[in-house]
Amino acid sequence: MSGPVYLDYAASWPVHPRVAETMADCLGPEGPHANPSSSHAEGRRAAQVIEQARESVAALIGAAPKSIVFTSGATESDNLAILGAARAGRDRGRHLVTSRIEHRAVVDAFRQLEHEGFEVTWLRPGPDGRVAPQQVEDAIRPETLLVSVMHGNNETGTVNDVAAIGTACRVRGVLFHVDAAQGAGKVPVDVEAWNADLVAFTAHKLGGPKGIGALYVRAQPRPALQPLQFGGGQERGLRAGTLATHQVAGFGVACELARADLPEEERRVRGLRERLWAHLQTVGGTWRNGSAEASLPGILNVGFAGIEGESLFLALDGKVLASSGSACNSASAQPSHVLRALGLSDLACQASLRLSLGRWSTEADVQRAADAVAEAVARLRSLAPAAALERIR
Amino acid sequence: MRPPHAGSLPPGPGRVIAVEAVAPERGAWLEVTARVEGDTVVEARFRAWGCPHFIAACELAVARLEGRPPGEAVQFEPAALARELGVPAEKFGRLLVVEDALRALAAAPPESK
Repeated sequence: MSGPVYLDYAASWPVHPRVAETMADCLGPEGPHANPSSSHAEGRRAAQVIEQARESVAALIGAAPKSIVFTSGATESDNLAILGAARAGRDRGRHLVTSRIEHRAVVDAFRQLEHEGFEVTWLRPGPDGRVAPQQVEDAIRPETLLVSVMHGNNETGTVNDVAAIGTACRVRGVLFHVDAAQGAGKVPVDVEAWNADLVAFTAHKLGGPKGIGALYVRAQPRPALQPLQFGGGQERGLRAGTLATHQVAGFGVACELARADLPEEERRVRGLRERLWAHLQTVGGTWRNGSAEASLPGILNVGFAGIEGESLFLALDGKVLASSGSACNSASAQPSHVLRALGLSDLACQASLRLSLGRWSTEADVQRAADAVAEAVARLRSLAPAAALERIR
Repeated sequence: MRPPHAGSLPPGPGRVIAVEAVAPERGAWLEVTARVEGDTVVEARFRAWGCPHFIAACELAVARLEGRPPGEAVQFEPAALARELGVPAEKFGRLLVVEDALRALAAAPPESK
């Protein structure tokens, strides 16, 4: 009980002990050490481990195993999907659609495509943080090649109606990519129901290791993708490089564990999140960023009037581990592009804190975190000019 | 830890000067109150909204006011304070807010005799 409360699950989860055990076995003297592409017996053994994990990963999102491409993580998956689809289809159209609340892995990929001559329509979400399917429909043109809208937002937890957006894309013959890095393993994901062509997700946000992720690539009809790297033709030519058997095996076990108790965990974590919000409201001068209704279970983004995020961070140091409303680089302290897109002022962005819960979060964590935040907010407010408390929100 | 000079000075003996410098868009808001007896700041306090570097700069600058004439506040050097506290270059603008407040203090009209 003496260590800080970890409320940064949206950034990364601790590795599940059973995942670590599986990976250790893989790396041990009896493990499948051969190159899974080798045709000898040990190679085939390693390949079997890979294919078993591929089945587990695919099952988590309702996909066929052959539609899973292993990558180094969600950033690479997003890049492969967006850059790969746009570059492969540039002769069919050069118009792309995405939203202003996407993860940087998506935003920066689209910016790169703008440099390459593509035109991108950047959709602004509503005040609840959601991109309306109608916005997507209105943005699609005859020359639109690809739409990319995230499932659950990494900062606010707000969930988009990706099934409706996917339908809009499908009937118009436009490719649909979804960044599902936050939602996979926390809420049911069904890529078929979403009408998605490309779905990115990662292991380390559901109890697996860092350095391994996946891109779902619809098998029928299979979207054309130009690979980002070249070499041995692994992963059906889409992602060259020797697969890391232990990473893939760990990812597979993490997916199995997440799938096994998903409904119970979703309910439990959502309950904890709402109790945390109830506690924090007693601090006064608080607001919630994003939708409370359409949301991932574990993410709570809260603003505190009169508070500067970096100082709140320091005040919480050693007590609560969370993320601020600023960018990852606290030195630059750039306000979050997601919160800005929701219409928050720069000051309100900087007064916001993301608290995210997961598998190992407990009721005691919630109480300790709420107490620590309340104390830190009260201390900082006692330092601030009275007029600032009115203005900074 | 609460900075030792955080707070406001209530009316009391001597003359209490209150000044403010505000630049929330730069992430800085500062109120300084100083009690002046004769020609000396005998006590100074501040209230601040901003990042930890800014709050540390406020504490250091306000602590150094004590025991000096208010007019010496103009000698405050943001660059020197930035070096002393290791303030990153991108936050240097916030120290100018501290400078603005201290200049306002130095410019406060002298006590009428």
